[in-house]
Amino acid sequence: MSETLAAVRAEFTKVRCVRTTYLALLLFVPLSLLVAALDGASARSAIDSHNPLLRAGFTPQQAGLDGILYGQLALIVFGVLVVSSEYGSGMVRVSLLAVPRRGRLFAVKSLVAAAVTAAVAIPVTVLGYLATQAALGPHGASIGDAGVPLALGGAVGYLTLMSLFALGVAATARSAVLPLAVLLPMVLAGSHILTVIGATRQLAQYFPDQAGLQMLTVGSHRAVTGFAVLLAWTAAALACGFLRQWRWDG
Amino acid sequence: MIDVYDLTKRYGQNTVVDGLSFTVRPGAVTGFLGPNGAGKSTTMRMMLGLTHPDSGSARIAGRPYHELRHPVRQVGALLETAVAHRGLTAANHLRWIAESNGIPRGRVAQVLDLVGLSGAARQRLGTFSLGMGQRLGLAAALLGDPAVLVLDEPVNGLDAEGIRWLRELLRHQAAEGRTVLVSSHLMTEMSLVADHLIVVHRGRLLADTSTADFIRRHARSYVRVRTPEAVMLARELDRRGATSTMAPDGSLEVGGMPAAEINRLAAAAGLTLDELSTQTGSLEDTFLGLVGDRSDARV
Repeated sequence: MSETLAAVRAEFTKVRCVRTTYLALLLFVPLSLLVAALDGASARSAIDSHNPLLRAGFTPQQAGLDGILYGQLALIVFGVLVVSSEYGSGMVRVSLLAVPRRGRLFAVKSLVAAAVTAAVAIPVTVLGYLATQAALGPHGASIGDAGVPLALGGAVGYLTLMSLFALGVAATARSAVLPLAVLLPMVLAGSHILTVIGATRQLAQYFPDQAGLQMLTVGSHRAVTGFAVLLAWTAAALACGFLRQWRWDG
Repeated sequence: MIDVYDLTKRYGQNTVVDGLSFTVRPGAVTGFLGPNGAGKSTTMRMMLGLTHPDSGSARIAGRPYHELRHPVRQVGALLETAVAHRGLTAANHLRWIAESNGIPRGRVAQVLDLVGLSGAARQRLGTFSLGMGQRLGLAAALLGDPAVLVLDEPVNGLDAEGIRWLRELLRHQAAEGRTVLVSSHLMTEMSLVADHLIVVHRGRLLADTSTADFIRRHARSYVRVRTPEAVMLARELDRRGATSTMAPDGSLEVGGMPAAEINRLAAAAGLTLDELSTQTGSLEDTFLGLVGDRSDARV
């Protein structure tokens, strides 16, 4: 078996067997689905009671993608832990003894993290959409509506890239604390707040998460631009992370 | 075969490994000896490609470590700082290493059995004791049935039985024609297992010789003399150029004069001797004496 394939197998085993990494990945499922269903249910009662608090641009199609926006927190933690579990424990040395080509080790690790994220993101994104529509009941939309399949695909791409972005940031920091302290608030609120303030709105749309959100916006005309911006962020983070691993000494 | 050539590593102003060159040959246990901070671990990490040298090179089987194909099958390494993730079980830790180098999965149970950890295979490593962790590290080193072993302080954390087991294992591995490099800061331990010694201090080579030769050349011997008239004998010895010091128990420790000559001297002076015996200084004293004397010179 080729050395790269062997390394891929080993990285899969690590993801599956290191408990914290595995738990972060699993947490994505209930978090996304629960929020998706609650979102649909609360929107339904708001529509039924003509509640003015229902946000202006509400569409059932877009609401179907709200769950994974919360679920992505778990995937960001996953991306960070995949790398920080190595540096934090000293396992990185064992990994480098087993796969001493640092480029190969980093590429394989990133690839496996991306593959695992996508494999979980695909069913959860679809199921989350369906859960929201089911909870909306009579107000629900179809999964075949215009722009929806594309947005669902975009969502899987977005989640995968965000997880990789987190991996790259963690590899650059060689730890978990700082990346999590920056990434989680950014995704939760930070960059969204910037979009509300007029002066920083222009800037905020180039943040990785804000740009990437265009990928999962139903009917967005800027999906490709958003994808390109998030891809650039991810590539830059991975490059920095790789450089830091390349230069790691110990 | 391990070749280290002119290896140098600096951390800031501090030169940890300073132009070190030596060869480790197969078929013998080679002890890598030096006090703490002598640069042993850094040298081993450079051999294994974990630390980048400032200059020089280290080759295993003729190649730098990172060029070895499926390195775990060629080199078994144990490093103090290369540890498993606490959340993994012992078996899963070995399993991913085996997978990464295309080693059959059945080998995991074999090495766990070999190091006496079969019963703890499904235990998480966070619950392991120091000695168990060390055994697991040895299991990982042996996993690929490698022709070269590089073990940094493998005795650490092992109990008496474990140490004896390890000695036998190392001798057995060497007898099979493998290259075995074992570091330690304990001369006594090395004398029990190593055929050959590479001694370093402050990053430099102090000695590269067989263990027997090293002890013969550097062991300090003295003669213990017990006599009721110690002061008078000391004066006689001093007159003949021998050195003597009074031990706390009142006996004399005499250097620079063989026992027979001391006996003749005492007889001539009419002094009675209660004890006259040649003593060899402990290996640890030998080693510390060497390191203390020759800290900057090559032996």
